Amino acid sequence: MTTYDANGITLQKVREHVWEIPQDEEMGAPARVLASEALLEEIADDRTLQQLKNATRLPGVRKQALCMPDGHQGYGFPVGGVAGIDAESGCISPGAVGFDINCGVRMVRTNLTYEDVQGHERELVEELFDAIPSGLGGGGVLETDVETVEAVLERGVDWAREAGYATEADLAHCEDEGRRKEADAEAVSQKAKDRGKNQLGSLGSGNHFLEVQRVTDVLREEVADAYGLSEDEIVVLIHCGSRGLGHQVCTDYVRRIEEAHPDLLDELPDKDLAAAPAGSRLAEEYYRAMGAAINFAWVNRQLITYRTRKAFEEVFDADWEGLGMELLYDVAHNIAKKETHTVDGEDRELYVHRKGATRAFPAGRPEVPDAYREVGQPVIIPGSMGAGSYVLRGGEDSLSETFGSTAHGAGRTMSRTQAKNDFWGEDVQEELEGQQVYVKAQSGATIAEEAPGVYKDVDEVVRVSEALGIGDTVARTLPVCNIKG
Amino acid sequence: MPFELRDHTADVAVAATDGSVDGVFASVADGLAAASCADVPDPGECDSDRFSLTVAAESREALLYDYLADLIYERDVRTVLPVDNEASIEEPRTEGPEADAWHLDASARGVPLEAIDAREVKAVTYSEMALEETLQGWRAYVVFDV
Repeated sequence: MTTYDANGITLQKVREHVWEIPQDEEMGAPARVLASEALLEEIADDRTLQQLKNATRLPGVRKQALCMPDGHQGYGFPVGGVAGIDAESGCISPGAVGFDINCGVRMVRTNLTYEDVQGHERELVEELFDAIPSGLGGGGVLETDVETVEAVLERGVDWAREAGYATEADLAHCEDEGRRKEADAEAVSQKAKDRGKNQLGSLGSGNHFLEVQRVTDVLREEVADAYGLSEDEIVVLIHCGSRGLGHQVCTDYVRRIEEAHPDLLDELPDKDLAAAPAGSRLAEEYYRAMGAAINFAWVNRQLITYRTRKAFEEVFDADWEGLGMELLYDVAHNIAKKETHTVDGEDRELYVHRKGATRAFPAGRPEVPDAYREVGQPVIIPGSMGAGSYVLRGGEDSLSETFGSTAHGAGRTMSRTQAKNDFWGEDVQEELEGQQVYVKAQSGATIAEEAPGVYKDVDEVVRVSEALGIGDTVARTLPVCNIKG
Repeated sequence: MPFELRDHTADVAVAATDGSVDGVFASVADGLAAASCADVPDPGECDSDRFSLTVAAESREALLYDYLADLIYERDVRTVLPVDNEASIEEPRTEGPEADAWHLDASARGVPLEAIDAREVKAVTYSEMALEETLQGWRAYVVFDV
């Protein structure tokens, strides 16, 4: 049997791209890493494998805890981690969702071609940078009151539709139609609402961005047709989350769970795995609060979409409907949802935790929007500013292998501190401009921290996803211009 | 400088030392500010008033977590970066309505976010958190989600 040893942890090769950490006396279930040998070497380079082992100790983990091909060390639960936890006898863990609840991506189509945009890149990047609030303290598209925040928390994108920021089609092309029905604004603290009211419609900073891209390769024509993608088409990718509101929800519930369930916490190897037992008052309350933060994040990305459409109208002197700026899809990659999956031959309701992992349901699942149910849900995998991104569709084997999940991006390989030592923001910016990629950020440090060289090879991440049948490649895109906080 | 920013794959860690527990709390808070902004203006360079906050928690470690979480909250609602932090910790009282709680009185100078280029730190985490007394004084290690 082929094995791989890293930091005292031995993985056994189950088959190509599937590595297992067998269950030992401390683990509640086995753990699996889905990676090529090259990706595994990067994944094993930090504490990812230990964090994955720790995740199996959450009560009620079914089958195995998983690390996607872009996984890396996080806090408590690894980024790229997926766990299906029994919703009756298990638990729900805010740390296994992450602080940035419903951090996610959406893609907006256009009927522009790359040729239409060439020569307008500088104007477009400036217009977008002015239109979209970004960075720390940059405000939001909407700076509002707590009452409005509560409506957003309860109704999600439906609130944005009524307020004139979204269309019916936007709702129809968003995961869960942009609204988690269990959302409850009362489960969200005043502190969270205070943080959220001035940040609605903002990118934030770190790895969040808005990128105008061109479709360079269509890899599955029939599915690309269903998604409305064609070669040379311009699309817009928006990556951000629930801002301070979501961060505060996670902080609040980690502390409340710590106080209410110390016995469970004592059994866990990391306090950031703090979990509320399924069926407990706090588990239900966190689920409702998380649902509200999910709604907030969807509205956040919707308001950015609204401003993006306006910016394109300015630059291309046409209305956004005429430019064909329809939402292709919006999908979360930090989330826990009750879903039904087959475990040991039985259908079980699970809290599927995806932290830095994307739902990737294949054709036929009822959760997939009508428009895509026959071909499978779109999965958007952002890469680095230099390497481009991918659109996948949920793969047939995702349900049996990964609770219907795949990767969420390229995944970092280098710390932010080292990135700033190795790269100089202005140099990265110039180099990208030489490749016809126009970047504008609040600071050069942000560009250095997000330089293409700090990420894994997104092509390899996607190749593994395809080989395992959990996400099938549909199209590849390359950046044209990028703004970030 | 009684703190250092340490490498972490996706996030940022602060390692701090000080002769007193008060000092190590303030040093981690200053590390949090440094993780957000490399070039903080001095008091004379921009309007930056001091503000106060108080925190209570069930343990010393929880007190540090809540203190840092509250600084992040204050940053967002006041739209200032808390710098030049000062902290004073009181051990649990044995009697009265607030028995068993650790208390912290703290203050910071709030530098307006519009006056600086700052990166957003999302949250404080418990992951790998250390807070302990050593032969040389106190040391703390905190990972922040970026």
